[in-house]
Amino acid sequence: MNSGIDLQGTFIRSLIDLGLSPGLAKLLWMPLPMLLMIIGATVGLLVCVWLERKISAGAQQRVGPEYVGPMGTLQPAMDGLKLIFKEDIVPGKADSVLFTLGPILVILPVFVSYLIVPFGQNLLITDVGLGVFLWISLSSIQPIGLLMSGYASNNKYALLGGLRAAAQSISYEIPLALAVLAVVMMSNSLSTIDIVQQQSGYGILGWNIWRQPVGFVIFWIAALAECERLPFDLPEAEEELVAGYQTEYSGIKFALFYIASYVNLVLSGLLVVVLYLGGWESPVPIDWLASLLNVPETNAALQVATASLGILMTLFKTYLFVFLAILLRWTLPRVRIDQLLDLGWKFLLPIGLVNLLITAGLKLSLPFAFGG
Amino acid sequence: MNLAEGVQIVSFIILAAAVVAAALGVVLIPSVVYAAFLLGGVFIGIAGLYLLLNASFVAAAQILIYVGAVNVLILFAIMLVNKREDFRPVKFAWARRGVTAAVCGGLFLLLGTTIITTPWAFSTATPVGDDAVYLIGEHFFSDFLLPFELASVLLLMALIGAIVLARRDFLPESALTASTENLKLPERPRELVAVAKADQPSN
Amino acid sequence: MMKFLKQVGDYAKGTVQAARYIGQGLSVTFDHMQRRPVTVQYPYEKLIPSERYRGRIHFEFDKCISCEVCVRVCPINLPVVDWEFNKAIKKKQLKHYSIDFGVCIFCGNCVEYCPTNCLSMTEEYELATYDRHELNYDNVALGRLPYKVTNDPMVTPLREFAYLPKGVMDPHDLPKGSQRPGSRPENLAADLTAAAQAAPQQDTPKQT
Repeated sequence: MNSGIDLQGTFIRSLIDLGLSPGLAKLLWMPLPMLLMIIGATVGLLVCVWLERKISAGAQQRVGPEYVGPMGTLQPAMDGLKLIFKEDIVPGKADSVLFTLGPILVILPVFVSYLIVPFGQNLLITDVGLGVFLWISLSSIQPIGLLMSGYASNNKYALLGGLRAAAQSISYEIPLALAVLAVVMMSNSLSTIDIVQQQSGYGILGWNIWRQPVGFVIFWIAALAECERLPFDLPEAEEELVAGYQTEYSGIKFALFYIASYVNLVLSGLLVVVLYLGGWESPVPIDWLASLLNVPETNAALQVATASLGILMTLFKTYLFVFLAILLRWTLPRVRIDQLLDLGWKFLLPIGLVNLLITAGLKLSLPFAFGG
Repeated sequence: MNLAEGVQIVSFIILAAAVVAAALGVVLIPSVVYAAFLLGGVFIGIAGLYLLLNASFVAAAQILIYVGAVNVLILFAIMLVNKREDFRPVKFAWARRGVTAAVCGGLFLLLGTTIITTPWAFSTATPVGDDAVYLIGEHFFSDFLLPFELASVLLLMALIGAIVLARRDFLPESALTASTENLKLPERPRELVAVAKADQPSN
Repeated sequence: MMKFLKQVGDYAKGTVQAARYIGQGLSVTFDHMQRRPVTVQYPYEKLIPSERYRGRIHFEFDKCISCEVCVRVCPINLPVVDWEFNKAIKKKQLKHYSIDFGVCIFCGNCVEYCPTNCLSMTEEYELATYDRHELNYDNVALGRLPYKVTNDPMVTPLREFAYLPKGVMDPHDLPKGSQRPGSRPENLAADLTAAAQAAPQQDTPKQT
């Protein structure tokens, strides 16, 4: 397994060659991937919003945004501009400190979670050993922000929405963690890189989805619930709760909630891809193709092609899941709160436990296929 | 002192100050909700301190369990009970506060002197870092097996207890009639309350 | 034990059923994505209202005999008929006539019962104003003819679904002279008269 392109090493080496000290060169490198990832997440968010509007329009036989930019692609950017320039209202009897802090607490963990999303062998901010566990623990901060904004709005709908969001979030975190745990058990590591590595080599046949079909379904349902996507969008159920915890928000603070929900959707798609669909791996392994064509692994063109194809594959699979989420949104009706909790506690949790048990058993009995 | 150490010291000072300030806020601020949110801040700050000590797994677990579960449950409990009650001013409240302050100050002094007088052995072993997960797992299933299992039994008991409390129809009739008055919430018991209690242990 | 196993089996069966239904629903939604949008891009494209469209009411002042039938048949007695008896010609002389379209429900009873046909329905539906009192049309406003959608150079007129040729779903870029399915009214009338002439013995007694 070659390590692909080492951008960091090349960058630092070229800076040292320019006469900078190694420490300074490393310091100069550090903000670059972070900035790149934030920009990438923002662009991904804009694409996601545009896709949501276009696909929703398609499912309802409408046209959707059309006039701003080609095919309306600039519409989400315009929406963002509009929200920035809108008046930032804090209701008179609201608790202004908590009211402001709430959306920030909701959006921060989502963006920090991009720390662990890999787009290629070396194409991630840092290979944290904790990997997916870091994502799970960060996403557990979100309900605090939701409760905070629900409470601070001084509005009964907002409070109910915040409570529902928190209840939903902590109930579905458990099946989510159990599904992730089964994958982690198979790859013997929490690191996202190792999880993808373990699936590589056999193309589409090596992906975890074949070994963890049940875990995949559990993860997908729980991820939809964590993102508050439609079959589970009770916290902002507009027929019952106006807009849930977002009721009193406007302008940039509302935009923060909006951004957080879509970035979270893209993040969930990315993690589904990393955990179950082989991350940056293409359905046909590139190494195998290269060896067929007699191209050496150290070939620069091959490395660039592998890296860009990896990014493309990751994004393609991710947006496939975003597409599925949008399609599900217009297909399924919203569940009731008791049905939601029933599904989480009485269906997903036992199935997740059984799945974990079976995975452990298979790992012991068939170590070659389930990671010994 | 190189750059990394400087960053470490500065972040330690910031984190320690934030933790102390938030902890004081939890105790001194009269609003319960603010206290609960500040408690979350304390937990996050302590997770940051763990990170500085190269214990990233413990830090993440701290955030997941204390911030994501315990603190959310505290907030849940606060927000679900919408009882408004003005407490009667207690006579000699200052005396109670004085005694509390004296006890807490004494405890603080005791701990402080213990920490200062103990000859701490500085470990020279390199921090294990990300391998801590394996080490923790090994300890859980060898020398710390009993405490680990005891903790899980305790949590299971809490789980079952919460279910029994939430399923009112399983309580005997006499228990219901005897003490309904002071047990009753202002609202009728709902599923949401049961869930809030029931998911505590399994986190 | 068997009962428990059966329960588990039933539950699994129910889950599979639910998954199948979700799949069916998804396929329906997915199918809809391939259909053409039914959107009419309103200010630039407009539907041609059907010939029986009940839009804003048109009023011809000179035909009116101030009989107030329209007021009597109106569910809320809406039309205001202001007339004076002219002794010289011994006739009611109409001074003002008005209908408030902010209150009118466009039921068309007045049009139906008007003895002199001075009221008629138009195809105008763009009645938005900034003040609801502007919707109270007097006889001058009622006498204006609406602008036809097909004559407006700014607007692409689109036919409604029932007026499209057979098998056509898209109202855009229809070939010239394409007709909706079925015979036009004049053709129907011609056919009927031809049939009546072909068999006069059976039809005539019933008709007269």
